[in-house]
Amino acid sequence: MAGRLIGLDPTSGPLPEPSGRVAPRPASLDGAVVGLVANGLGEAEAFLDALYEELSSTHGIKAAIPVLKSSVSVPPEADDWQRLTEGATVAITGFGG
Amino acid sequence: MSVLRADRLEYDDPLELIEDYHRRGWTDGLPVVPPTPEAVERFLDAAGLEPDTVLGAVPTREVVVTAEHAAINAVMAGCLPEYMPVVAAAVRAHLHEKANCHSTTGTLSGASQLVIINGPVRNDLGVACTAGCFGPGFRPNATIGRALRLVIRNVCRSVPGFLDRATFSTPARYSFCFGEDEEGSDWVPLHVERGFPAGSSAVTVHSVMYMVSSPDYTSRTPEGVLDSLARTLRRQGTAGDRWLGDGTNVVVVMGPEHRRYLVDAGWSKADARAYLWPKLMEPQQPGEGRVKLGHPEGLLLVGAGGPGMAETWVMFPHLAWAITEPVR
Repeated sequence: MAGRLIGLDPTSGPLPEPSGRVAPRPASLDGAVVGLVANGLGEAEAFLDALYEELSSTHGIKAAIPVLKSSVSVPPEADDWQRLTEGATVAITGFGG
Repeated sequence: MSVLRADRLEYDDPLELIEDYHRRGWTDGLPVVPPTPEAVERFLDAAGLEPDTVLGAVPTREVVVTAEHAAINAVMAGCLPEYMPVVAAAVRAHLHEKANCHSTTGTLSGASQLVIINGPVRNDLGVACTAGCFGPGFRPNATIGRALRLVIRNVCRSVPGFLDRATFSTPARYSFCFGEDEEGSDWVPLHVERGFPAGSSAVTVHSVMYMVSSPDYTSRTPEGVLDSLARTLRRQGTAGDRWLGDGTNVVVVMGPEHRRYLVDAGWSKADARAYLWPKLMEPQQPGEGRVKLGHPEGLLLVGAGGPGMAETWVMFPHLAWAITEPVR
């Protein structure tokens, strides 16, 4: 179509639509190993420790896998991912300061 | 010249394109210049870049940023073709691993990306370095900073509500770019202090968590001006980070009313850092933050701004190093 204005797409591709899905939830935490992924901000470790204590007192949790990221701004290290994916039944994390 | 890879859209006129780009979420809320293939090719030619030249990546987002991406967004931002080498350098700097694009553009804190230009390219392009240099009215400052931010939005996917999670964000995210006032003193320019040759041009990108003015209208000595600055730095403190280690920076932009007391007394940037450093490392007092810099060179002292107000601006970092890249 001669004479029409051509504009180039400035993006690296369309943004994905939010799936609206959440990770699968186990029916029970009995015997679960809970990953606790702290981002290092504020009192994240203390908060997760307290949360774990609370869950332990009300559910039959078997153990915890605590992970402290090397920075608030980067993903966990490879060996931490391995510990979580191989050992944890569920994992808890958070964001913000 | 390789073939441009971007998808092409057809419009009857520029206004139709501008409105459609708004609708698609491809702007920062301001109108854009139509990125036609011809315009984008002119920008790439001006920088001697092939479209598929990789300027960097954001691995956590599975994004690779090419020269074509940067050129399209530079056209949209209102740049001239001759700005393109500076835009490419800014994109390279921001996509350095330790510039930490994923964090600094996704953060709740709404950090901005400050672009500081050094060397002859400032005068070639007319980059504002003195009065009003942080603000509007200067095409290179307005559009080079905007080009980087459009790359961050459109290519790196830091779109508000998606991967930009800022609580308030900041108007500095529209554009934040200025040049060092190298002619205003005999101080060694920032990029030369960071290892680039005198006479070369370079760009430094620093992610700014927040910026604070350090005014002092009464001091008339280097020590007095720097004592005020040390108090500002100690009052705020800076974030530390194991992954970033000792490489974090604070950018200190000193205006001419403060600078002259140091320059007239023969103080270099290094002298200023040597004076400040022990004061910054003293134990914290109540109400103070900790200045978590690894070494004195982490303080990046830059001369800029105009006469009148006796102030220095302190650009506190988000979780990143300030990265300097040559303008090629």
